Amino acid sequence: MSALTPLGLNLSGLITQIISFIILFTILYKLLYQPVINMLDQRSAKIKDNLDAAEKAKQDIAKSEESIQDSLEEAKNERRQMIVDAKEAAAKFREDEMSKAKTDIETEWLKARSEIQREKNAAIDEVRKNFAGLVITAAEKVIDKSLDDKSHDEVIEKVLKKSL
Amino acid sequence: MSVVFRNTKLILVIIISITVFIISILGGALGNQFGGGFLGAPLAHIQISAETVTKIKITDGYKYALTNTVIATWLSIFVLLLLSLFVKKSISDVPGRLQSIAEIIVEFFLNLAESMTSPEKARKFLPLVLTIFLFVLTSNWLGILPGFGTIGKIESREDAIHHAQDLAEIQGKKFHESDVHTIIFDGEGSFGLLPIGSIRNVKDHDDHSSDHKSDEHKHKAVEKGKQEGLLIPYFRSANTDLNTTLAIAIVAMVLVHFWGFSILGFGSHLSKFINFKSGPVGFFVGILEGISEFARIISFTFRLFGNIFAGEVLLFAMAFLLPLIGIIPFLGLELFVGLIQALIFSVLTLVFASMATVSHGDEGH
Repeated sequence: MSALTPLGLNLSGLITQIISFIILFTILYKLLYQPVINMLDQRSAKIKDNLDAAEKAKQDIAKSEESIQDSLEEAKNERRQMIVDAKEAAAKFREDEMSKAKTDIETEWLKARSEIQREKNAAIDEVRKNFAGLVITAAEKVIDKSLDDKSHDEVIEKVLKKSL
Repeated sequence: MSVVFRNTKLILVIIISITVFIISILGGALGNQFGGGFLGAPLAHIQISAETVTKIKITDGYKYALTNTVIATWLSIFVLLLLSLFVKKSISDVPGRLQSIAEIIVEFFLNLAESMTSPEKARKFLPLVLTIFLFVLTSNWLGILPGFGTIGKIESREDAIHHAQDLAEIQGKKFHESDVHTIIFDGEGSFGLLPIGSIRNVKDHDDHSSDHKSDEHKHKAVEKGKQEGLLIPYFRSANTDLNTTLAIAIVAMVLVHFWGFSILGFGSHLSKFINFKSGPVGFFVGILEGISEFARIISFTFRLFGNIFAGEVLLFAMAFLLPLIGIIPFLGLELFVGLIQALIFSVLTLVFASMATVSHGDEGH
């Protein structure tokens, strides 16, 4: 080392400087590089996350817009269907009611007719009953006179015609 | 009107500049020859080796010489420690000013390293490269602060001559007592500084002057509470000491080769320098590469030392020749040189590290 002394090189100075540099290296590593690099990494990760989240939110918005559109469409269709159904139901109801009313009326009418018929038959029967008596009376009257076959028939015919 | 006003302003500026220039010349070394020299500082005692500020006794046989460059080294370590403590304390997602600067520097070197090597290797190299950059930059810039080289302790003339004799003996030169230019300081204590106009206090010991006259001077100096001696500055720019630059270069190259061995494997890295496979020419090239690794240490050491030491001498010379203004442009130059040297040292380390961690076969691609 003595040849290097004029240049100021000496072992103790060199060792001091090497140790000093290593100490500085350690200090800066712990206090500066690690925190700053961690911070830079964290920040870039954060920015990446945020960008991803924004992208995702955008997609979500598009998706939900689509679904809203879909459900709107669905609701429209449903409404249309409901209107159609309601109309159909109303028409059917009306038809049912009408046919029901018709059949009611018809049965009522038929009933009334049959009643009338029955009344009529009853009346006829009554008349017939009364007529038999009448015939007997008439016969008695005719027999009082001379009653032949021919006049007999004529009388019955006449009576019947009158009674009807 | 405004043109005239501007012209009178211009004239005023020119007059002031010329006056300052003349005062500077008169106050400097040139004026000193004619009784001026009221501003200049004496041309400091320029020596390559760092001055010893104090000797610390460790054992009976060994005393540790604490040099002023070591003090400056610790000062820059302290400054960097404070700055990084501030950065660490207030680190947040939204950076403050100091944190922004730290991030800019870290990101610059990280991007540079990633452009040279793989990202994993860049992360590995980054701490060393950044430490070199920050340390060299800080100590270079601290070195041009006022107080560096001008505040120190006073070494008596007898001690100064003694040291100079020792140095001359080692160098094998002839020693002349007249080579020791001492300065007369005010005050009694060992603390001294180079005040404005101290160029006039330089005491010449001419060979022609008789012993009688020299004695007379000495008496004159001592009698009025003044003392004669050399200024040993407390601080001297850390990189004006070859020990500092050599220490950084050694640490850098040792780490570079450590990475070479650990990333490539022992045999692969060693085969770059001791190569039997490619015949005698390959072997010779390998030996040359090994030598060039040592040459890198030396070029690292002397490039930084030479630049910063030359800057220091330049500033001393300017304070001597043209005090007050001569130093201003060179201060800017020194700021620039300090930054450039820090960049060169750190980027070259990065380049060497990325070269050392590429196996020999890949280099041809």
